[in-house]
Amino acid sequence: MDASSERQPMLAISGLSKAYGSTVALEHVSIEIGTGEVHALLGENGAGKSTFVKSLTGVVRPDSGVMTLAGAVYAPRSILEARSRGVVAAFQELSLVPNLSVAQNFFLPRSLKHWGLNSRLRMEEKAAEILRRWGGDIPVRQTIERLTLAQRQQIELIRALERRPDLLILDEPTAALTDPGWLFEAIAERASAGGAILYISHRLAEIRQVAQRATVLRNGRSSGALRLAEASDQDIFLAMVGRSSARSGRPTPSARRSDACRLVVNDLRARNVDGVSFELREGEVLGVAALEGQGQRELFRALAGEEKQTAGQIVVEDRLQSFSCPRDALKAPGGIAFVPEERKTEGIFASLPVASNITLPRLSKLSVAGVISPTRERKAARDAAAKLDLGQRYLPFRIGALSGGNQQKAIIARALMTGAKTLLLFDPSRGIDVGTKETIYAAIRSFADRGGSVLVYSSEIPELISLVDRCLVLYRSRVVASLANAEMEEDTMMALLTGNPASASGEIGAQS
Amino acid sequence: MSLVPNESLPGTRPSRALFANGALMAGVFYVVLYGVYAAYDPGALSLATFTDLMNNAAPLALAAAGQTIVVLTRGFDLSLAGTISIVSVFMAVFPMEDAGGGAASFAACLAIGGAIGAVSGLLVAFRGIQSIAATLGVMIVCQGIALLILNAPGGAVAEWVSYEMTDVVFGFAPASGLVVLAFALAWLLLRKTDLGLSLYAIGADEGAAGLSGVPVARRRFWAYVLAGACYGAAGFMLSAQTATGDPNAGMPFLLLSFASVALGGTSLTGGQGGVVGSLIGACVLMLMQKVLFAAGVSSFYIGASQGALLILAILFGRLVSRAASSGDAK
Repeated sequence: MDASSERQPMLAISGLSKAYGSTVALEHVSIEIGTGEVHALLGENGAGKSTFVKSLTGVVRPDSGVMTLAGAVYAPRSILEARSRGVVAAFQELSLVPNLSVAQNFFLPRSLKHWGLNSRLRMEEKAAEILRRWGGDIPVRQTIERLTLAQRQQIELIRALERRPDLLILDEPTAALTDPGWLFEAIAERASAGGAILYISHRLAEIRQVAQRATVLRNGRSSGALRLAEASDQDIFLAMVGRSSARSGRPTPSARRSDACRLVVNDLRARNVDGVSFELREGEVLGVAALEGQGQRELFRALAGEEKQTAGQIVVEDRLQSFSCPRDALKAPGGIAFVPEERKTEGIFASLPVASNITLPRLSKLSVAGVISPTRERKAARDAAAKLDLGQRYLPFRIGALSGGNQQKAIIARALMTGAKTLLLFDPSRGIDVGTKETIYAAIRSFADRGGSVLVYSSEIPELISLVDRCLVLYRSRVVASLANAEMEEDTMMALLTGNPASASGEIGAQS
Repeated sequence: MSLVPNESLPGTRPSRALFANGALMAGVFYVVLYGVYAAYDPGALSLATFTDLMNNAAPLALAAAGQTIVVLTRGFDLSLAGTISIVSVFMAVFPMEDAGGGAASFAACLAIGGAIGAVSGLLVAFRGIQSIAATLGVMIVCQGIALLILNAPGGAVAEWVSYEMTDVVFGFAPASGLVVLAFALAWLLLRKTDLGLSLYAIGADEGAAGLSGVPVARRRFWAYVLAGACYGAAGFMLSAQTATGDPNAGMPFLLLSFASVALGGTSLTGGQGGVVGSLIGACVLMLMQKVLFAAGVSSFYIGASQGALLILAILFGRLVSRAASSGDAK
């Protein structure tokens, strides 16, 4: 018998159900988390994880089911009530208010006071003290919108951890973190102090590192608790997606791979890009590996016409180009389509149906005398969706209502729709599940097989290894290495990423 | 242990940030415009003229303050016009004399405004109706009620109110003092209380605010109530100046309130700005009328000039803030 379940459980849930209209999000979900236990929650996008988190934190009220917290009935009606009962969540979508400072966000919704009025000074001092204790060097007076994604995620996590909750819910806590070691320490500390932690992640290796048991959600239903030590990756994968897995290993070069260069970048300079040169060939998937903030974001934006290029050349299909907006990049012969990282704000038209989101770039081709032909639009959307294994039933929904993984599929479908021959994908698998990742990788490879060229940045090295033909390593705004797939090993690459090529064991390929 | 790889964040330079600040921009506009005014009318530089100007601007300034509160939450409040109209006819039909009566009328005006605001707030915050639609309905109903109370301009505002609230004592108008006090309170409320902070938070990202524990619906409701009370105060000051009631008194304020908010640098998409900017914005618009009058320009040109000024001010403000942010990037 499990040691943690012998004690009184911190959280016990049975028969929890929630439906939105006719869509069932949760169906008889049961879970038990012991005191001092780190319990993982796994599931594909759309499996009901976020509804589950929202039920636990009082954001939505479940239709039925019983929850008990430390032996007492628990039915929170608001996030504040949940908080007062000792349940705190660090949300995946991050609950930080962009126009307020780090310090102000820390104390929402009740600021620290001085003579009955909010005291900016007291809050800044206190927040700075807390952040110092956590070893962060984030300026507390900065507004959230000026921080990087990684910094925001840290603030979100520290804010939750500082409340020392009895039940801590971490939803994809490492999605934007480059080095989550400190978080794992903090989790262990919380658990040894008797707190329970619900840890939601897509990263199996990580889950094995922090959690003892796991519950899998699939289509709104829960599996019984799995003991992670006894379950193989294959078992878990099967429980999540209901089919067995997982292409791994190395990619095979595309059939249409040729030596002709589709995109040549010469000594490109822009904000935070310091003389980057590379070539992208037809049928090639070229990776970009870098730690947070090494200029990769600006590089992609410059190539897509969203960031001003200050010097250097971008040559697309043998013609020198200079882009002043993304439309230029798309319209250039060959065409460059960009799929940005922040889908929520940059990528989607949340209130439009999925089909319209996909067909947007080709509306003129789908119109008769300026009026969109619904049959042609539907057919085009269906074809594009099929390439990415995006269920047809999703097409009429507002895209904002879809899960992150399905949104990402739709956006990539749209990028394919443009007819561009070069795709720029910035962290396409951020925060999405294994099953969706597989589909997206397959779509990327098949695009390359048809002669397309892809430049893809990912924060996960294993992902790059199994996807790309060649990989550039960026460090401090420059390309420090270009590795063929065969040369890509995790330890070598980690050394390069952190700027220590000397300690790298493998051989580093010459820049091409 | 460092959590973050060192990353150069664009530094905020206070001097530049100040220049990009809308309130300051509007202030510069005001000073320039005042210089023009003084060139036409040497009497402009006396304290009496200045406080007189402030008195004139008081109703619009108060209305704009209310509008600012709602705009910060990413809303629009059209009920402003209806509230001012109702208060205007109320003051003319039920005059109450003496200081006690004046105070009672003032309290009643705040209450009327607050009650109308509560209706808008209920519809917007708890029923989820778009602010522009909900407050449009409320405005039309209020305009109708104002006509029922008084079907044509007329009536008489209590003498005490119309006399004291427009008087100049020792070259200083006590009414302007009240307005300044009101603005100080509004500023404290927005900048130094949890209610104020949450209005900014709601305007910027409602979802994140909710997940951070801000009771979004309740706070939004109070924004409309407070705004309504401001419109009530605006109607009170207006009645003191006109001394009669008018069932359509609020209409001219509707669009000018938005103009004041925009001139003062408050973002119409919410989350950014403040009441002080709107106060100065309202003063600029009213001063403009005076300047055109002093310059002998026909009053038919006033509307067009105000609009042109608004557009110019916004374009100029953008230019300055763009210059400031490109300075930041270096």
